Amino acid sequence: MDIGSWIIRQLSPILKDLAPHVPGEFFPNYFLLEYFHRPLIASFFVALVAGFLGTFLLIRNLALIGDGLAHVSFGAIAIGLVFGGMDALWYALIFSTISAILIDELQTRKILDGDAAIAIFMTGMLGLGLVIMRIWGGTASRLVDGYLYGDLLLVDPQSFNIIVIVCIIGYLSMLFLYHSLLSISIDPIAAKVQGLPVRLIRIYFSVITAAIVVSMVQIVGALLVTALIVAPAATAQLIGRSFRSCAILSQIIGVITVLLGLYFSAEHSTGSGSMIALVASCIFLLTAILKFSKNLVLKPNEN
Amino acid sequence: MDTVQSVSIGNCGEEILNVSNLSVFRSGSKVIEDINISIACGEFVGIVGPNGGGKSTLIMTILGVLKPKSGTVKIYNQWPLSKGITGKVGWVPQTASKLPTNVHITVKEFITLGTLKIKSLFYPLKKDRLTVKKIIEIVGLEEYTNTRITHLSGGQRQRAAIGKALASDADLILMDEPMVGVDREARNSIMKLLDGLCHEQNKTIVMISHDLTSIKQTVHRMIYLEEKIRFDGPTIDFPGLSELARLRGIESTHEETDFKPIKKSENEATIILVPGSREEE
Repeated sequence: MDIGSWIIRQLSPILKDLAPHVPGEFFPNYFLLEYFHRPLIASFFVALVAGFLGTFLLIRNLALIGDGLAHVSFGAIAIGLVFGGMDALWYALIFSTISAILIDELQTRKILDGDAAIAIFMTGMLGLGLVIMRIWGGTASRLVDGYLYGDLLLVDPQSFNIIVIVCIIGYLSMLFLYHSLLSISIDPIAAKVQGLPVRLIRIYFSVITAAIVVSMVQIVGALLVTALIVAPAATAQLIGRSFRSCAILSQIIGVITVLLGLYFSAEHSTGSGSMIALVASCIFLLTAILKFSKNLVLKPNEN
Repeated sequence: MDTVQSVSIGNCGEEILNVSNLSVFRSGSKVIEDINISIACGEFVGIVGPNGGGKSTLIMTILGVLKPKSGTVKIYNQWPLSKGITGKVGWVPQTASKLPTNVHITVKEFITLGTLKIKSLFYPLKKDRLTVKKIIEIVGLEEYTNTRITHLSGGQRQRAAIGKALASDADLILMDEPMVGVDREARNSIMKLLDGLCHEQNKTIVMISHDLTSIKQTVHRMIYLEEKIRFDGPTIDFPGLSELARLRGIESTHEETDFKPIKKSENEATIILVPGSREEE
């Protein structure tokens, strides 16, 4: 299935038409040159799906799972590169999925808090990866670095295709399971009594979380994954009035973040990932300041 | 009359819940022992008892979340959580009033979650959206439809939680301490709401409470649970303080009979409050 190149073919002309209206000196190149279309479109997809995912992760108290799974897959990639047998990406996917399910299970059974469970898996797998790398690795370590700090601008057609497919499946899954996910996050017992397959839904959610994170990390790096999952969702929570509006706003803010981040990184020639992460935090900060100063001015007597 | 399109399985007066010889252990120690309860459709039952007396354990076992050591729980003659009774049991948790503040969910969204069934797993049906509207009216939260749950008062939140349980079209509604964090005025109106559900919509309500006074004013039948059932009967027959102490096996520490002390260690604020209840009439 080559959905990736089909999407590029559909969207390229539109992006080119948009180019004259895009501000900046270098930024219009993203729209003008086909070479940049893949990263641009990939970042849109990632922003949408990460924003949506973040909304659910925040209410499940699993904000850092993106970072955690990214590091787990880093360790898994190292193992994969050393032992081979299949593409290292599959190692990442398998290890991340198992970790995501176990983290969720530990939290649900109240054995460990979400962040403590994430910390254990993250450091454990990272350590394992580094040790294996040092003992048997040799030259493989440079490949792993690229994985951890991935560069949006180096998206090849194959990984573009993967990310597009995972994003579409992940997005649709969350759309369909929207109410169920909300229900099991808010009151799992009630959901169970209503006859929902609570455990199945939880496991499925862990699987799509892992798949989305792994596919994203490879392209955009661990830093950007967390930035795009957590910051837009948190910003949306500051202004959203309902869960639905939070979910939608989070995606919109994600896209805006990506656009601004790419713009600034193009104009000031910095790394795209770090700039996007910076912009994401700044948007949150600005929104928070605006919100609270507005409250101070308009409703000074309210608690 | 606004009935919530209730497709009752049985006629009213029929047995809806049967608990027989039930014993439940938690982490190796016995919590409740040899419980026998039969509850008929339309009853409003209050379960009272001290902390650690097994009230929540009993409810959790009825829900099917905890497994019994021995004995059975049958709802409409079926096992808890079995397919035949899905949606027939509603659950109002104690935590309903303490939703985490980072969950920005409106009353409407919250109650909609109650309508979810395996059939509408992917999307709430149109019929369900109408139900939600109706239920918001029943619990009296129309003007808060699009307000966030976390912005509501304790009493309003509790109403929302009751609404969520009603939304599944449940016949049997189980509640764990629904009056915690609810002020007096709200408590009275919620009790009225619950009473109305029993009388007008033939809902069966089983409610755990610490608040003897308040529960005594509303429910039709009281069960005093402290490991075993110490009392089960019409509210009107519920024993006075000294009789209750005898049933619970609490001995008097003083000789004087007209001075009825309550052991501090067994203390429950509610029992001490009994004579001073000002909400009656």
